[in-house]
Amino acid sequence: MIEEISNQLKKELLKAGADEVVISTIEQEANQLKFVNNRIAKVGNERLIGSSLFIVKDKKILSTSYQPTDKEDLKKFCQKTMKMVRLLPPNEQYRGLAEGPFKYKKIENLYDSKVEKLGEKGVEIVEEGINTALSKGAKRVAGNFEYCTFRRHLTTSHGIEFSEKGTKWYCSVRALIDSYATGHMTSSGRMLNSLNIKEIAGFAGEIAKMARNPQPGVEGKYDVIFEPMPLANLFNYVAGAASIFDKEAGFSFLNKIDKNYGSSKVTLTDDATIADGFNSTAADSEGVPTQRNVILNKGQFKGYLHNTSTARRYGVKNTANAGLIAPAPWNIWVNPGTYNKEELFREVKRGIYITNIWYTRFQNYITGEFSTIPRDGIFLIENGKITRPIKEIRVKSSLPDFLKNISALGKKQYQIKSWEADIPTFTPAVLVKGMNITKPK
Amino acid sequence: MYEDLAEYSLAYLQKKRVDYAEARLEEHQSNRLILKNSVLEGVGSDQYQGLGLRFVLNKTLGFLSINDFDKETLKRMIDHSLRVTARAAKIKDPLEFSSEKVVKGKDIVKAKIDPLDYPVEEKIKLLSQINKELLATKLDLPNRYLSLSDNVVNKYFINSEGAKIVSKVPRVVLFYSLTLKENNRFIQRSWEYGAATGYESFNQWNLNKRLVQEMKALSDNVKRGISAPKMADVVVAPEVTGIMVHESAGHPYEADRIFGREAAQAGESFINAKMLGQQIGNPCITVVDDPNMAHGYGYYLYDDEGVKARRKYLIKNGKINEFLHDRETASKMGLPSNGSARANNYDKETMVRMSNTILLPGKYSEEELFESIKLGVYIKNFMEWNIDDKRLNQKYVGNEAYLIKNGRLTDQPVKNPAIEITTPKLWSSADAVANNSEFHAGNCGKGEPMQAIPVWFGGPSFRLRKIRLS
Repeated sequence: MIEEISNQLKKELLKAGADEVVISTIEQEANQLKFVNNRIAKVGNERLIGSSLFIVKDKKILSTSYQPTDKEDLKKFCQKTMKMVRLLPPNEQYRGLAEGPFKYKKIENLYDSKVEKLGEKGVEIVEEGINTALSKGAKRVAGNFEYCTFRRHLTTSHGIEFSEKGTKWYCSVRALIDSYATGHMTSSGRMLNSLNIKEIAGFAGEIAKMARNPQPGVEGKYDVIFEPMPLANLFNYVAGAASIFDKEAGFSFLNKIDKNYGSSKVTLTDDATIADGFNSTAADSEGVPTQRNVILNKGQFKGYLHNTSTARRYGVKNTANAGLIAPAPWNIWVNPGTYNKEELFREVKRGIYITNIWYTRFQNYITGEFSTIPRDGIFLIENGKITRPIKEIRVKSSLPDFLKNISALGKKQYQIKSWEADIPTFTPAVLVKGMNITKPK
Repeated sequence: MYEDLAEYSLAYLQKKRVDYAEARLEEHQSNRLILKNSVLEGVGSDQYQGLGLRFVLNKTLGFLSINDFDKETLKRMIDHSLRVTARAAKIKDPLEFSSEKVVKGKDIVKAKIDPLDYPVEEKIKLLSQINKELLATKLDLPNRYLSLSDNVVNKYFINSEGAKIVSKVPRVVLFYSLTLKENNRFIQRSWEYGAATGYESFNQWNLNKRLVQEMKALSDNVKRGISAPKMADVVVAPEVTGIMVHESAGHPYEADRIFGREAAQAGESFINAKMLGQQIGNPCITVVDDPNMAHGYGYYLYDDEGVKARRKYLIKNGKINEFLHDRETASKMGLPSNGSARANNYDKETMVRMSNTILLPGKYSEEELFESIKLGVYIKNFMEWNIDDKRLNQKYVGNEAYLIKNGRLTDQPVKNPAIEITTPKLWSSADAVANNSEFHAGNCGKGEPMQAIPVWFGGPSFRLRKIRLS
């Protein structure tokens, strides 16, 4: 059905005068179990079907969407849409779409029938998560478990046809003892067996227990060990800044290719081809086969993320990151280091262990100056050991300083997607030297 | 609109013997334009309908969203949703709703310049004119990002108690982010203007002049700016007032946070029900949330649970006075809802949200606030800000700011004065409120999946005594 909708839209738009079109039609059924105070507070279900359209006529560009009703409406919709396109001024910077057809590599572990058939059995997973966190000492457990199945069909005026079927899941568990003694962990993926609910709920519960009776933090410079949760938040801003759109709009600190922006220990890649990657896909939003794109290689910035048009404009190779208007990263991969957790802590004489952050906000995107607020368990590290929980601190830094001061990386990666880390991020825990910590006066 | 299918779904749910059911059918028509560095990147235009069905089964909340209006598919999805909800009931949080008056009403906002009729060429001209004025300054502005959006949302709400509400609300919003390069330094400014009107509001925002003034002021700030004094009295202008009331007087008063319903992501609140009546700030501080403000970007007359909306006094003369409630949180406190349930789309559940949250004006002019200040800082606007998930520890960093000396505002720019403070300290440091109210637009994020919802925040300038700045 979705193939029929895509192809019909393409046919009618070309008939009505479009030069170029990209039609992507998706059909999705999703489930959500939201839990609060150890109980399920909401059961959500969704069915979505619709097409997103990118239409070009004489370099005049319109992005729009279509909701299937019947064929006559589709025809009228296409004619009306083309009238609107003709009213627009041309975008002289536009350089066209990719020429197909393409062959696509199979990416492993993007669909799991167990996720598709999970239905009401998701309740048991939630129950297990709640009970695990409670068993670790939490008094209250809150979170979210979402799982969906989708099919996508993409066709273009330039000989591209692509279809995929996938499943996705996302799970978030926050354990609470009181307003400061809290711990949080999320996990996401495509295959049900990669969900280890006991591990994430257990981690949240343990952090909450360790965080009881915190003392106010003290301002100053500290070496900081960040867990994957806060890192996903910060690395989202790093990878997002590699979009050529963000660079042109003034939302990027990555100003020069080949410049060193980070420590030689940092290699960060955009990769849509990761098995079990939440956003993995074989084709980008214009149907170009996706690939692995190195953003930072040993700290050195290697290049911006492009779609066909922006790549042609800059005379560089397309990185398959369409976004037809704004190229964007798919999944972020931070190369792991060699340290286990204990070894990371051993590196710290006087430092802070941060398990989560939120509200990262920028004073200046070009210099990358930001502050962000640690939440959930925050701990003082003295001579390689956690000595006590602390509270009410803020991290003040810049993205280049943060990257340059990364001195050690853990060896175990986690796939994190969260509220403020929309781009799934595979990252280990990381040690950053000399971060500024402030607090309310 | 597919009203018949909303009615069919409601009847189907009732046949399945749910305790409560509601159908919220929405039609969204929207347009968006991006002008980036003088280039129109493209135009977006969308029109869609969808149905959100919320029901209570065995005291468990179920929610189904669907935009596929085939009857058999609808039935299949409702059955699926009922099945999952029935299973979830074994670990339910027993849900009760407050008892509410059954409303049958209409809320049709008529735009003078309807966003759907206003030609796209005219919208492009609005952006081009701002861009032209910026270029005419001859300042080095390497990044000029202007994004103009409008939408008209039609809603049809019915529930099993007999409520029936029809609404239509237009909105227009402009977001800008500008980079100034001066003395080899980059300085940035982002903000947005919005209203629940048609394009008639756009001219009132006076953006052609305003953005030019802002860039000139920032240029001056780079050239002549001095560091902020370590301790000073501070006068914040309406834009800063707005973010302060939103973050530290709006969010902590959302009753769903107080009861832990958003604990996993949006967080909780340092305030609890026992604190009602406690003094949290100076008696000059009164903060209201008022959905009924005409043109307010967060405007509505009936909330998304079908409850008639009203003004809420969150802080009254410095005392914690009232929380924002939906039917669930109101029931927990034995109160009627005060109409604060909103959803940003048919595919999202309702939750407790702000609307137009403002500090009520005092009796002073802005100039009078400066009179008793020996050494102070006037913060006109800001860039960086954040607040913790309990809404206690917050930070605001000024972008355009000036020195106040010996009772007068000077033209001496101050570089990035930062206030890092707790909520009780903030509101108890206030001692005078001006009468120069302004309202600003934002998209407030909450919930999981995230729902960004249009809100206004603002009020007049107000004065804070003895603030540590960095």
